[in-house]
Amino acid sequence: MLSIKNLKAGIDGKEILKGINLEIGAGEVHAIMGPNGSGKSTLSSVLAGRTDYEVTGGEVLFNGKNLLELNPEERAREGLFLAFQYPVEIPGVSTINFLKTAIAEIREYKGLPALEAKDFLKMVKEKQALVELKGSLASRAVNEGFSGGEKKRNEIFQMAMLEPTLAILDETDSGLDIDALRVVANGVNKLRSSTRSFVVITHYQRLLDYIVPDFVHVLFEGRIVKSGDKELAMELEKKGYGELTR
Amino acid sequence: MGFLGPLRKRAMDAFLKQGLPGRKSEEYKYSNPEKLFRGASIKPESLGLESVNFNVSGLEKKPSVLDLKKLDKALQAFEIKGVSENRVVLVNGVYIQELSALPDMPEGVLICSLAGALTDYRSLLEKHFSKYADVEADPFIALNTAYAGDGLFMRVAEGVTVGKTIHILNVITDEASALLNKRNLILLERSAEVDVVESTVVVSEEVNVGRNVVNELSELILDEQSRLRFYRMQQDCEGLNLISTVQVLQKASSHFDTHTITLSGDWMRNNLNIVVDAERCETHLNGLYITRGIQHVDNHTLVDQRKPNCESNQLYKGILADKSTGVFNGKIFVRRDAQKINAYQSSKTILLSDDATVNTKPQLEIYANDVKCSHGSSTGHLDEEAMFYLRSRGLSEESAKRMLLYAFASDVVDTIRIEPLRAYANDLISKQLDFDIKK
Amino acid sequence: MQKQNELIDQQIGGEYKYGWSSDIEMDTAPMGLSEEIVRFISKKKKEPDWMLEFRLKAYRHWLKMEEPKHWAHLDYPVIDFQKIIFYAAPKPKKELKSLDEVDPELLKTFEKLGISLEEQKRLSGVESRIAVDAVIDSVSVKTTFKETLAEKGIIFCSFSDAVQEHPDLIKRYMGSVVPGTDNYFAALNSAVFSDGSFCYIPKGVRCPMELSTYFRINAIGTGQFERTLIVADEGAYVSYLEGCTAPMRDENQLHAAIVEIVAHEKAEVKYSTVQNWYPGDVNGKGGIYNFVTKRGICLGDDSKISWTQVETGSAITWKYPSVILKGNNSVGEFYSVAVTNNMQQADTGTKMIHIGKNTRSTIVSKGISAGKSNNSYRGLVRINKGATRARNHSQCDSLLMGDRCGAHTFPYIEIKDKSAIVEHEATTSKIGEDQVFYCNQRGISTEKAIGLIVNGYCKEVLNQLPMEFAVEAQKLLAVSLEGSVG
Repeated sequence: MLSIKNLKAGIDGKEILKGINLEIGAGEVHAIMGPNGSGKSTLSSVLAGRTDYEVTGGEVLFNGKNLLELNPEERAREGLFLAFQYPVEIPGVSTINFLKTAIAEIREYKGLPALEAKDFLKMVKEKQALVELKGSLASRAVNEGFSGGEKKRNEIFQMAMLEPTLAILDETDSGLDIDALRVVANGVNKLRSSTRSFVVITHYQRLLDYIVPDFVHVLFEGRIVKSGDKELAMELEKKGYGELTR
Repeated sequence: MGFLGPLRKRAMDAFLKQGLPGRKSEEYKYSNPEKLFRGASIKPESLGLESVNFNVSGLEKKPSVLDLKKLDKALQAFEIKGVSENRVVLVNGVYIQELSALPDMPEGVLICSLAGALTDYRSLLEKHFSKYADVEADPFIALNTAYAGDGLFMRVAEGVTVGKTIHILNVITDEASALLNKRNLILLERSAEVDVVESTVVVSEEVNVGRNVVNELSELILDEQSRLRFYRMQQDCEGLNLISTVQVLQKASSHFDTHTITLSGDWMRNNLNIVVDAERCETHLNGLYITRGIQHVDNHTLVDQRKPNCESNQLYKGILADKSTGVFNGKIFVRRDAQKINAYQSSKTILLSDDATVNTKPQLEIYANDVKCSHGSSTGHLDEEAMFYLRSRGLSEESAKRMLLYAFASDVVDTIRIEPLRAYANDLISKQLDFDIKK
Repeated sequence: MQKQNELIDQQIGGEYKYGWSSDIEMDTAPMGLSEEIVRFISKKKKEPDWMLEFRLKAYRHWLKMEEPKHWAHLDYPVIDFQKIIFYAAPKPKKELKSLDEVDPELLKTFEKLGISLEEQKRLSGVESRIAVDAVIDSVSVKTTFKETLAEKGIIFCSFSDAVQEHPDLIKRYMGSVVPGTDNYFAALNSAVFSDGSFCYIPKGVRCPMELSTYFRINAIGTGQFERTLIVADEGAYVSYLEGCTAPMRDENQLHAAIVEIVAHEKAEVKYSTVQNWYPGDVNGKGGIYNFVTKRGICLGDDSKISWTQVETGSAITWKYPSVILKGNNSVGEFYSVAVTNNMQQADTGTKMIHIGKNTRSTIVSKGISAGKSNNSYRGLVRINKGATRARNHSQCDSLLMGDRCGAHTFPYIEIKDKSAIVEHEATTSKIGEDQVFYCNQRGISTEKAIGLIVNGYCKEVLNQLPMEFAVEAQKLLAVSLEGSVG
């Protein structure tokens, strides 16, 4: 599904990703762990197409397409979803209207007929339940005045609505208490399927107790220095990054 | 003569071209200076150009020895412990060596009369004098440049930090010309640092000196990485009509921090024009005015952000009693491509009387898009909820009022970094508020 | 009446001033302006003497006035009034069906906005909730639902008809809010106005439908000088809509209008405008010069006047819909969205003059600048002595799109009563790149994302518009900003 080959990227002339190789198959859950500054967020930003970052080498294929040639909305329409570490507030734009627009554009891109209003609303109700999001939140402006936990749940809710094939969760656990973490993780787990893959970016092993990964990769100084299964996360938790990255 | 002659001629032409600002002037919309000149013996165009040089014996007379003794005594009332140890006394713009004392000045600090600087530091003057205050921009700048008698020249050399505060006593006496044009030039070289306090006071035999108009202009140049804190106390100057213009040029990474505290004066117009001409500068303008009677106080600020990556803050507060009038006109101007500017402005006023008036004109003129600029302005009376709350806790109406007004003013006063000056200002303000409340 | 005029003179002080320029092809009246032209217009309209007198008085006063240009943040050429034709003969009624004849470029814009349909529906009266007075090239061509409204005693007709049929009302109210000598351009309009709309809601009547004037400059080389007068008698209510469009022309065309509103005790008038005059091309060629004096007076206690405007058109916009809050407890509101793109210039805002006790006013202004345009908010809040417990809250936000445009805020706040509470806030910001990226990431194109964000930013104002207008306005915002994000 996603194939990253020797990806190099940076910002303001400073190279951060120094050759990333990663293969993600359909239905797989990959965790990417690493200390602060290792390039985790850069990787998610580059995959989603944030323009601040400059790709200096390598290639990324997403379902056979050259991902790096697509602009951010095309990537989203192709089925790539990024759950932001810091979800953005958009005053005056209701979440409902926002999602309606997004779904309409994605469906148009895919050549699907527009979604009927009642089907859309039904879907909203269903998916809100998934992350225990209050109905009133969807009628409020996107992320405006949301608590940290509400923002993260709103991200998962949007993911459920947009039904991506690849979801990247960028430090979704940061700033969440244990209850909120459980809710978010439950939401994600319910969305796991044989056709949907996940990249879970996290600093701590804690989230992986709830979202159990198939593969764990350690990112350090812009390279994946070690890969393994979920045992690797346990090991990291015990020994810290120091030993593994030595 | 040299450079001054042609400069004065050009300034005079500029003044005649502009004339006194009238009702239609946007800049003087709420402060019409025409009335200051009406019926008075001042006719600017009749003053002539007899004095093209700064001359101590020109327009303003230096006080006699006897007068100096009297003055020395009178000025004791304005001493601030911990501030006035290093002081410069200007009487009607004339630098008075005999009354000044600068025991703690490090090497590299030059302080003398502007007239003196014209002979001793001519090249510095030629380089900087009238290079920042544009005679075409304001008739009073033009008038001052055409007629300026004397004033203060100060230079802090590169890398010099002046540890002690310098107190300028700006004294106006009965002897002053009906229209007094005084002029200062303050130069901070690279990485220089200094704190300056300027007290404007009137020393007079008569109760009211109402006929005087003082048109003062200071050019302040802050070279790279320099820092100037400039505190102005306009106190005890009853009867004074003042047009005070401070023209500032800020170079890279410089910090300018100023306070204008106006507690007295009949008709006071403070123009504060800051040109921020380089990156990474910080500018802080604070003002407090507490007026009564028929006082008129107008604070006019312009922060001209010409280059990116700078920050400016303005906080002005006014408490108006009796039939007094307050004006705040502040403009933030962000030039094209001056990106990443954070500029804030806030003006708050409390009216204590039904006859008081406040006119506010906070303006933003923005030509760059990646900026954060805002202004807020509020006018009101004392918060009745707060009054009630305090009274329900047993405070008298009078002390509740005092407490709230004092708190209102303290936002500005608390930002004064010189502790003894802050205490002194607080003391003056308390006295003034007591007076206003008891009435 | 005289007293009221004095009051207004005193409050407004002739500071509300306008300027304009246009090249108008000769049609009926000879080129230029003179007393003869004024008489010619009046005669053409078969006006009674008092009407002619009103025009002449305004004209004579105008001659003595100066076109004041010193304060507005606008730049436009000097106007030669002798090169303008002040009266174009009314087009026959077939104009109504002339949509096919219109510039196809314009039609395309209309289609984008969904206006062409709306327009036809409105003009043919299909949509029963709106009564329309259509003013094309300064002349009222059709007023719908006149009879339905008449049953309730509501008068809704062209200004010319009102002069003939309701002279007492016109005599009483015309010029009572904006005197003929008020300011340079109001005086000009008062001398040469050709037509407009009149509306009177009698005591206690709630107007059952939206009343609408649809303005359109159609024929080449015509300016528009219309005036609108709305009177809501005691306890009456009316919601009034004004829509404006003009085709694209290379030369600058002129619109100098007057709107007067009178609200008696407990009356409420809501006036909404969606202004989409042609703004000129990318290089600033052509476009309407829009100079309008709009003012309402809350004459009676507990009355309310609310202005809502969405301004996307015109090369130059210079208008300040104002409210004089004379009655005690009266309320004035001003909600505005002003968009400028390319070379457009707008200097717009409001005046809230508080005279009565417990008067309240609210100002919400959202400016959006793109391209090389300049967008200024200019507003006055004045609390007179004796206007006890007056309150005002103003919020002025500017949004900059691109780094070649300007956004400016010039509020004037004058307070002479200690019991007043007046708050003003203004902010300037840009559309966050992070907001756009967030939308992109959810599959929304940049263009759409800008539309969403801008509409969100303007929501507070758009919410004030009647439903039909709100939809139109939202589309208009998106179209106006098309191509402004690169």
